[in-house]
Amino acid sequence: MATIASTVTIHDPIGLHARPAGQIVKLVKESGLEVRMGKPGQDLVKANSPLRMMAMKAKTGEELLIEVDSDDEAVANDIIAQVQEFLKG
Amino acid sequence: MLSNGTILSGMGVGLSAVTAEVFRVKPASALPAAAKHEGDAAAEASKLKAAIAAVAAEMNELAASAGETSAEIFEALNMLLEDEDLFDTAVIQIEDGWDAGTSFIRAVEEFAELLSGDAAFEERLADIRDLARRVAANIAGISLGLDLPTSGEFVIVGDDFSPADTAQFTSAVVGVVTIQGGPTSHTAIICRSKSIPAVVSCAKAAELVDGMKVLVDPVGDRVVVEGKESDITKPLTFIAKSHDPLIPVRANIGSLEDAIAASASAAEGVGLFRTELLYLSAKTQPTRDAQAKAYEEILRSAPQGPIVVRTIDAGSDKPVPFLDMGHEENPALGVRGYRLIENHRDFIVDQLESLELAREASGREVWVMAPMIATAKEAIEFAELARSTGNFKVGIMVETPSIVYEIPSLEGKLDFISVGTNDLSQYLFAADRMNPALGAMLNPWQPGLIGALKQISESCAAANIYSGVCGESASDPAFAVLLAGMGFDSVSSSRSQVGAVREALSAVTMEQAKEVLSAALEGSSAEEAKTNALKVLSGISEN
Repeated sequence: MATIASTVTIHDPIGLHARPAGQIVKLVKESGLEVRMGKPGQDLVKANSPLRMMAMKAKTGEELLIEVDSDDEAVANDIIAQVQEFLKG
Repeated sequence: MLSNGTILSGMGVGLSAVTAEVFRVKPASALPAAAKHEGDAAAEASKLKAAIAAVAAEMNELAASAGETSAEIFEALNMLLEDEDLFDTAVIQIEDGWDAGTSFIRAVEEFAELLSGDAAFEERLADIRDLARRVAANIAGISLGLDLPTSGEFVIVGDDFSPADTAQFTSAVVGVVTIQGGPTSHTAIICRSKSIPAVVSCAKAAELVDGMKVLVDPVGDRVVVEGKESDITKPLTFIAKSHDPLIPVRANIGSLEDAIAASASAAEGVGLFRTELLYLSAKTQPTRDAQAKAYEEILRSAPQGPIVVRTIDAGSDKPVPFLDMGHEENPALGVRGYRLIENHRDFIVDQLESLELAREASGREVWVMAPMIATAKEAIEFAELARSTGNFKVGIMVETPSIVYEIPSLEGKLDFISVGTNDLSQYLFAADRMNPALGAMLNPWQPGLIGALKQISESCAAANIYSGVCGESASDPAFAVLLAGMGFDSVSSSRSQVGAVREALSAVTMEQAKEVLSAALEGSSAEEAKTNALKVLSGISEN
């Protein structure tokens, strides 16, 4: 399976907190795909655990790497776009 | 065992009585201590899974009964509760030998450690820990909730009820009795607004047991075991003798909804507009235009008459998210109300400027006052600031004992004062409003408070300062008569009480109100003062 990678930026004034983390996990679970996120230079975590994502303590203005395992690039890009939307706060 | 007819005295909330069966609320049981399981890790894991699902279902039920904004919170909490990594972490604990409940709490603590030290997550941490306790309680078969009956009619009896508790009051709760808590306790405020008859600060209610029938008789400030219809103390009925009350009765409001509802009452204007609500949920400081717009809408909707606006009354126990308040050991005695001027002058100026814009746009008469003024110097500073900002009548709240002695020096400096009796009681008696054990001290009929109010009213009259009273005491019709007798120029009541207070004040003459005051002043306890006053009042209403 192909992996589509990109970066997203956190605009939410509180950073990556419970609500956006929950929204992302819900989206990922509904898609049935494996999605990983993380800070550049650190291990990525599976985006199926809101607590694990909150534990990254990613703050406003930070960029996160995002990887989606999918052979359908359009689907993957759509997920990335929605994740970016959730991080707008 | 209490015999039939036994009278348990407390402080009544509301005007109607009710008879129903007692339902004792059990104190929340302690969770079992951390323990190891007997060796079947798979069974423990499935026990945990079932408990998580059960708690999630409970939360969904709460979400369904809560409003839309709360529903979103419950949904987010469920995402955390059902977090797969959290479950996997708990399973590792189970494999180490800990039982299901202990493992889940340990797993939550592992994550809590990862999240700690970040202010944005502090509240979530508390939520997650609460969820862990609920899961552990479910596994142990312990109930943490109130477990109130949902059908039938019951008088629920407990020490005191928290906001989380009162949110769970079902329609089966027809009466409430608390052993602790005073007339301004959360329980009293909720019961008053929901019109549930209640008696608070009723120490002997500790002896009530499930199944007893009791009469909750708030007008008589008592609970009667097996009380009959004939035991009900009738509220004083006032027959209006004049069209207008002795002094104007205004309404207390805190939001647009309140303003609209108050304008449907007989209130003459607003005696206390609490502005905190507009800010407590805002993450960032609203722009001046946004504030002005919100104020304008409220001013336009408020009942006819002047509108007395209190500038922000926040403190570290009632923090505004966008103002840095820090932590205080003793927030009731800390940097709150007008004292915020030190670090947040811009915000208070902004608030006054927004109010001026709203005043101009709405064409309403606006009075502004600052809370928590302790010295004449502060009062004069505020008056100068407010007058330079807008075309307001300017005043202060009288709620600290110190300012009472400085009223004479405020002649010519202030247009008005308004007494906040809840806080004045707290500071006068050195009795924490939040401490349920001290409820009896906060009874407005305490001779010490009546004496202070009399002095305030007399000092204001001598200094040509208009004086009013807001706060819970002004919502009691009989007490309002007392206040008129002292010489206060107006009272401001909670919306639901405006009608009753107006009726009382329309039924007596000023001479009679003064008689009621003299009778109350002869009492050497709160109970005696009230009994004396009511005796005179019932004599008046019979004639």
